[in-house]
Amino acid sequence: MPRKIVKSKYFFEEDFIETIGEVSTEKVKDWGPNSQLKVVGKSLSRIDGYDKVSGTAKFSFDISLPNMVYAKTLRCPLPHAKIKKIDISEAKKVPGVLAVLTYENAPKIPWYYGMSFLFDPHLRYEGDEVACIAAETEQIAVDALKLIHVEYEELPFVVDAGAAMKPGAAKVHDAGNVVRGEPQIYKRGDIEKGFKQADVVVEDTFSTQVEIHNPTEPHCSVVNWDGSRLTIWDSTQGVFSVRDAIAGYLKMPASKVRVIKKYMGGAFGSKLEAGKYTVMAALLARETGRPVRIALDRRAMNLAVGNRPGSVQKLKVGAKKDGTLTAMNHYSYGAAGAYPSGAGCSRPFRTLYKCFNVRSEEYTVFINTGRGRPFRAPGHVQGTFAFESIIDETAEKIGMDPLAFRIKNYAEVDPASNRPYTGKLLRQAYKRGAAAIGWQDRKPAGSGSGPVKTGLGVATQIWWGGGGPPAYATLKLNRDGSAHVIAGSQDLGTGTYTFIAQVAAEVLEIPMEKIQVTLGDTAVAPYCGSSGGSTTAPSVSPAVRDAAEQMKTKLISAAAAVLEIPGNQLVYKNGIISVKNKPDKKLTIANIVRRMRERVLLTTGARNANPSGYAINTFGAQFARVEVDTYTGRISVKKIVAAHDIGRVLNRKTLENQVHGGILQGLGFALIEERVMDEFTGKMLNANLYDYKMPAIYNVPEIEVIIVSEGDAKISNTGVKGIGEPAMIPTPAAIANAVYNAIGVRLKSLPITPDKVLMALQG
Amino acid sequence: MNNFTYFQPKTLQEAGEMFGKSWHETTALAGGTDLLGLMKDDIEAPRNVVNLKSLPGLNRISYQPGKGLKIGALTSIAKIASHSDINKRYPVLAQAAKQVASPQLRNVGTIGGNICQRPRCWYFRGDFHCLRKGGDICYAVDGKNKYHCVIGGGPCFIVHPSDMAVALLALDAKLTVYSGGKNKTVAIGDFFVLPEKNVRRENILLPGEIVVDIRIQELNNNTKSGYVKFAERGVWDFAVVSVAAVIQKNGNALKKGRVVLGGVAPAPWFEKKISKKLSGLIPSEKNLDEIMKTALVDAEPLAMNEYKLPLAKNLMKRLIGELTA
Amino acid sequence: MNEKSKSKGISRRKFIQGVGTGVIGSTVLLDTLQAAPEKKGENGEHAGKQLLFLKVNGKTVRSMIEPRTTLVEILRNHLHLTGTKVVCNHGECGACTVLLDGEAVYSCHILALDAAGKEVITVEGLLSGEKLHPLQQAFVEHDGLQCGFCTSGQIMSARALLLKNRHPAEQEVVEGMSGNICRCGAYPKIIESVLAAGGQR
Repeated sequence: MPRKIVKSKYFFEEDFIETIGEVSTEKVKDWGPNSQLKVVGKSLSRIDGYDKVSGTAKFSFDISLPNMVYAKTLRCPLPHAKIKKIDISEAKKVPGVLAVLTYENAPKIPWYYGMSFLFDPHLRYEGDEVACIAAETEQIAVDALKLIHVEYEELPFVVDAGAAMKPGAAKVHDAGNVVRGEPQIYKRGDIEKGFKQADVVVEDTFSTQVEIHNPTEPHCSVVNWDGSRLTIWDSTQGVFSVRDAIAGYLKMPASKVRVIKKYMGGAFGSKLEAGKYTVMAALLARETGRPVRIALDRRAMNLAVGNRPGSVQKLKVGAKKDGTLTAMNHYSYGAAGAYPSGAGCSRPFRTLYKCFNVRSEEYTVFINTGRGRPFRAPGHVQGTFAFESIIDETAEKIGMDPLAFRIKNYAEVDPASNRPYTGKLLRQAYKRGAAAIGWQDRKPAGSGSGPVKTGLGVATQIWWGGGGPPAYATLKLNRDGSAHVIAGSQDLGTGTYTFIAQVAAEVLEIPMEKIQVTLGDTAVAPYCGSSGGSTTAPSVSPAVRDAAEQMKTKLISAAAAVLEIPGNQLVYKNGIISVKNKPDKKLTIANIVRRMRERVLLTTGARNANPSGYAINTFGAQFARVEVDTYTGRISVKKIVAAHDIGRVLNRKTLENQVHGGILQGLGFALIEERVMDEFTGKMLNANLYDYKMPAIYNVPEIEVIIVSEGDAKISNTGVKGIGEPAMIPTPAAIANAVYNAIGVRLKSLPITPDKVLMALQG
Repeated sequence: MNNFTYFQPKTLQEAGEMFGKSWHETTALAGGTDLLGLMKDDIEAPRNVVNLKSLPGLNRISYQPGKGLKIGALTSIAKIASHSDINKRYPVLAQAAKQVASPQLRNVGTIGGNICQRPRCWYFRGDFHCLRKGGDICYAVDGKNKYHCVIGGGPCFIVHPSDMAVALLALDAKLTVYSGGKNKTVAIGDFFVLPEKNVRRENILLPGEIVVDIRIQELNNNTKSGYVKFAERGVWDFAVVSVAAVIQKNGNALKKGRVVLGGVAPAPWFEKKISKKLSGLIPSEKNLDEIMKTALVDAEPLAMNEYKLPLAKNLMKRLIGELTA
Repeated sequence: MNEKSKSKGISRRKFIQGVGTGVIGSTVLLDTLQAAPEKKGENGEHAGKQLLFLKVNGKTVRSMIEPRTTLVEILRNHLHLTGTKVVCNHGECGACTVLLDGEAVYSCHILALDAAGKEVITVEGLLSGEKLHPLQQAFVEHDGLQCGFCTSGQIMSARALLLKNRHPAEQEVVEGMSGNICRCGAYPKIIESVLAAGGQR
């Protein structure tokens, strides 16, 4: 099959990745609209539904091996400290305690880009790892943790990004608190010239809070050694990424490490890399000679495995009276936490609208809290909130309808690169979304009467989500004509298992029930990237189609040999190959496989390279209708219309579910979720699921999902773009704009809690 | 959670004798929904746990027309929420019960446990040795105090978390408390204590004393009652501010009423001024606005909770307006 | 209320070498926790154990346990009924919801001894052999889940609701399901699933 090795570029979570990979160069027929397809695009129930509703699905959290022991981690109670003395003798005496690791006895494994170690006596945040105990039961381990006596030297700390940037702030690292020592600066054109051309200039400052991922399944691993081979059941978004990292940490060949993840209890970006806990479990398993299970408790989940960094964003926008944007400036800072991660949020600002004079300056700073990790559209959710708020402010100042203002500045090509898009149907999204929410009935801000006021708002999303190579899928046929697809990808609850079966069923024209899909096992699957960046479906579905198309070709060749009739006289339909005009002369897949003695059964498909010279993006608009009770400050989101261009829909049912999820998480970010730090002690106050409030079923608005796209044929043989992140990006901004429209007062700090609304209304 | 010895007494006397002089040694388990959280967080680590559910007959509700209502202390919140006489005669209590926590917690949590629950202050629940835990500072004073009290605080600034207590105080309920071999009656207004009196406990119970039942007088037919709760998440959340009101009408005017606030003080807060001004009031929007000016005048909000004042006034106004409409 | 699960077949179980496959037989005698010798220490960490009798999915369970053992620990660690999940371990999320004498409770937030003598139904207990309960089937058909980790709890809350109210309206579903957090935000389809299950009756 045609393959070659090329350079290909795509966007993953926080930045562009350029890879050299073997890709498919097979040109297959575009599928056309979903209406012409039999399986793809349909609302099918997910194929792992049975396992999940019956309680039989074994998540990594549920794995139990014979003779398994349990590990628990002692975490630093202080934001910044050095261990002066650690005494584990009493803990070791507890019956049932098998091993205790600390910085004194554990191997010095470098961590965080060499800035620290697996166990480091210098602790830089509340929740930093101090010791790890393996015991016969989880309870014994927890009891024994309390008997480890640690003497800390308390060090000065800072837990607020703004405070960390001030001269004289406590230093998280000796080199200073600004990550890389300088801001990230982007510019095009000349903003000073641009602002001079403007008729109006709007300046404002916005802030967003730190959000915690809090997936339901905790980060956890079960590890087992077989001599020199290590098997890990991990709750991860990337089995290959964990395999490679663990092999590196333990200095062993990647081929000896097997990482398995069958089901995943949520991640949202927090499970993209190997965790310390997995390495600790591996070390403890080696020491005890027994399998080890380690799972973080909810407090640790809030402290130590990631967050969406907060942001302070100062924006300045200039526009002409006719609505033309002339210049835009963005200054922002946010905190990485105690170790490097990205807190930038200016990408939507740089790429959403046509504007020739643009500058951004972003600071990421260290503070003494847990490290940030990518969180569902990192940077974009917070950046879009601020940017789409000031876009509304600017529209109001020049007296334009906010939607008309957006369309006036519609980017026909990528403003950053001047490249054309593979596809952009944002205009259609605006149009259909506006009709669905009743935009024409939008009233001037704060014009309603009575204590409960209604408002409408809109915001736009741009995301990458086009995926790219490398991603492979292996297809095997069995003697009975059933098929098995194996890929190194993961299903996070997004429906990966199901769409893979759908794509294979579409091409091979066999029932879904005959297809088995295996994911998340490095020992048996060909490589796929981590599941993040809304890249899974756009990367993996083309590889599956490629494998299935190859298989179909092979089957036709095999049938030609069996029937001794040239392949071009054969017809493939519904998994049966028959001779043109002689329908009774036919072979089923099972017939062929049996005749071939299973020698034809294997193909491996690959994702094609992305087309060069194009920008690949998702687009969409969300419209919100809210009610604000001015007596209480309560914001009730009544309806969200989500209109998106995300290429081809693979499964309408699971797609809707993803959109709902993005909106609900966006609603939580807009209205209630927030990490609360006590600045005097440097400790988190709400590291639990009561005080850290996530949306409940009560908070669900009516949601209407409109997909304006079919397939984006320029991208791949399936034309799919991602939806997971795009669905969250515009929600907070749309809600904030609707709140302004309702009460006539703009809330610039997320989350917009009732106290802020009430105080704003008091003036 | 530390391990403990578990007891299931068969009589009140047996139960009472299981307690020593200190709360640290022995704790009573009613529904356990609050106690388990406290024990898991090592805020309480009793050596003995006495499960009161083994005591017979304490989970009954009885209503006798003319005499009133009696609720056993171990009655589940769910049972109160769905009880037909309570819904009919004491809507304030049923409405409060329906808004407690979540269905699962209402099934397990009891009314006795609910009024005895410990505060939700995140410093008290967290890893802070605060006043209420025997330390020497209240971290909330200069800390994150958005959810803390605006009145009645000092030196500790918790709010009382119970919904039921707010409704019971509006109904002027009486508690039967078992104490040293006999029962005594305690007015609910005397049950809760402010931190200035005892910074370690939220009520007057001594170790070995057990709330046995709660009694509420019969309300006359002109009485309206209701409960509104404002919580950030809307459901499954403790009140930021709540209001219970029991109001007796007399033609167009009001005869008398009791208005109680939750979420504003370390104990359910009887709004004396507003309650007094209801007598003879014509409940127009203007009149309600006028009397609200006198509400919470002694309040001293902390840096982050001033919003509770307009919130409390607006909720009182809305509830009284609805009950008297 | 009695949802006795018949002895389930092996075929459907996701087989991992050595993973316990649950309870087969009518009475199960469980070992006490290993390596926790009974000793009354100064801090009471290893105070005496007590005997627990419990009925789980129609089978009687008898075990010596530490009084601090929670119900979910019995279900997951002793009976290997891992359909019931632990997320917050604090009665704050609902993932551990089971039926106790027909009513929904958080199994992470109730002492096992407090459930003594009662009947527990877990998500596995809704199955009839391999066959899904209509409520479970509704969650599949209406996609009332994403990652699936909170799903068992959602289904058990829905079961409790439907036992009390066979045809709940949407607002009643929202109220009845308000004690279960779904971080994926599958709520709209959870509501649809429960409404559909109510309509089937």
